Amino acid sequence: MTPLQQGPILLPERIANLIGLGDGLLGQVVGGLIAAFLIANIMLAMTAVAGPWAKRKITAAFTDRIAVNRIGPFGLFIIIADAVRLLSKELIVPEGVDRPAWDLAPIILPASALLGFAVIPMGSGIQLADPETGLVFAFAVASIASLSLVMGGYASNNKYSLMGGLRAVAQNIAYEIPLIVTAASVVIFTGTLQMSEIVAVQREALISITPALTIPQWFAFVNPFAFVLFLVANMAEVGRNPFDIPEAPTEIVAGYQTEYSSVYFVLFYLGEFLHIFLGGALIATLFLGGPAAPIAALEVIPGFVWFLIKIWAVFLLTQWARSAIPRVRIDQLLDIGWKGMLVLSFANLVLTAIIVGVIV
Amino acid sequence: MNPWIAIGALAVVGIGIPIGMMAVSSLLRPSVPEQGKSATYESGEIPTGTARIQFNIQYYMVALLFVVFDIETVLIFPWTVIYRSALEQGVSLGAVLTPMLVFVGILVVGLLWAWRNGAVEWVKSPRATRRKTERQS
Repeated sequence: MTPLQQGPILLPERIANLIGLGDGLLGQVVGGLIAAFLIANIMLAMTAVAGPWAKRKITAAFTDRIAVNRIGPFGLFIIIADAVRLLSKELIVPEGVDRPAWDLAPIILPASALLGFAVIPMGSGIQLADPETGLVFAFAVASIASLSLVMGGYASNNKYSLMGGLRAVAQNIAYEIPLIVTAASVVIFTGTLQMSEIVAVQREALISITPALTIPQWFAFVNPFAFVLFLVANMAEVGRNPFDIPEAPTEIVAGYQTEYSSVYFVLFYLGEFLHIFLGGALIATLFLGGPAAPIAALEVIPGFVWFLIKIWAVFLLTQWARSAIPRVRIDQLLDIGWKGMLVLSFANLVLTAIIVGVIV
Repeated sequence: MNPWIAIGALAVVGIGIPIGMMAVSSLLRPSVPEQGKSATYESGEIPTGTARIQFNIQYYMVALLFVVFDIETVLIFPWTVIYRSALEQGVSLGAVLTPMLVFVGILVVGLLWAWRNGAVEWVKSPRATRRKTERQS
């Protein structure tokens, strides 16, 4: 047996060394907790910027309005004001709710999204863990979210919530398979499920014009068809337009979150944004070279900045779609999923396998 | 380093943060229980009945299909991982590719069969269908 491959030094190890605890069990646990807390807070800070501020500003820009601009520069302090406002709202518990399930649903949704970030390489050595099954792990924990949606929907004792929960499940099971099968077509190229390895493979050159101007082997360039499929399936998986029928404000009020108020609503909202960013992080890692710079000359900018740019680009895309594309109907959604995306994703998998087989 | 210790730590943090936010909120928020406030929302009307009813799940067959395809993706992943290295070690393309093509092929035939039998259709309610036929006639 060959010894296990030594990957890059991960964040928990570095923190454990920094505070002088070393490689022991204590060091691993303490380093892991501190690193997990840091990563969770990075993501929470991003959702805090995205939810109360960036989303308003972006939608306003699309519809030729100004949006928040009174508190602080560009209205940025609205983030703090909104956080205080939302946390100090009264929690209204509707009649007949199924108590433990109704309370657990808003915990599960953000927790499942945060857990997905454990395996994402964020550049500049920020990665919590690098298990060999990283990619499968990320998909597995991200799909726990639909459990939370159906729990919240069914426990609320509200007809809109029930329909929202049912729709969420219909959507998630229709688009989960295209998503994972498309990711499998990337794994054919890389031959590994380890996130750091997937990023490393993409660092090789696809086309080399000069040493400074080399187009890297990002899978968005190698297999643009898979990239588009993954983008669409991911948009459906996180429930954004044009696939936002689980919430569909004009049809079923707010779907599964109709009866949630105060901090419970905040947690649902937070969980959704975390899921958009997790989707962006998966797209960045699988198709956009993770935290790598697009050309060698730009590598002076740290990897973490590139990572943020990429996931914010995906976030902008979802907001663009939100402003520009009308919602599909539920039967159309299932048709697109089962008759379109599923067939296309299998075609993509088989074609990729054949092309890789001919080239190698 | 065992990666699962760090992932477990993130699970603890990921569950701890929502609970912490709930705790902070419970200190900050008022509680003014009033009659009528706690009624479930039904567009401002007085709610009729509960939501705990028998309902048409619509996609029962789709859910069964999902289980089949989900297991398939689990079985595809090991193949995708070894595919390239097997080819590089000189195993012929046919020997690596054919079994998976047959496997995917059988499932695609299954999907087509389900498709032809209308299993992946969104079942329309009899009332909606009747209304549509009335309009056509």
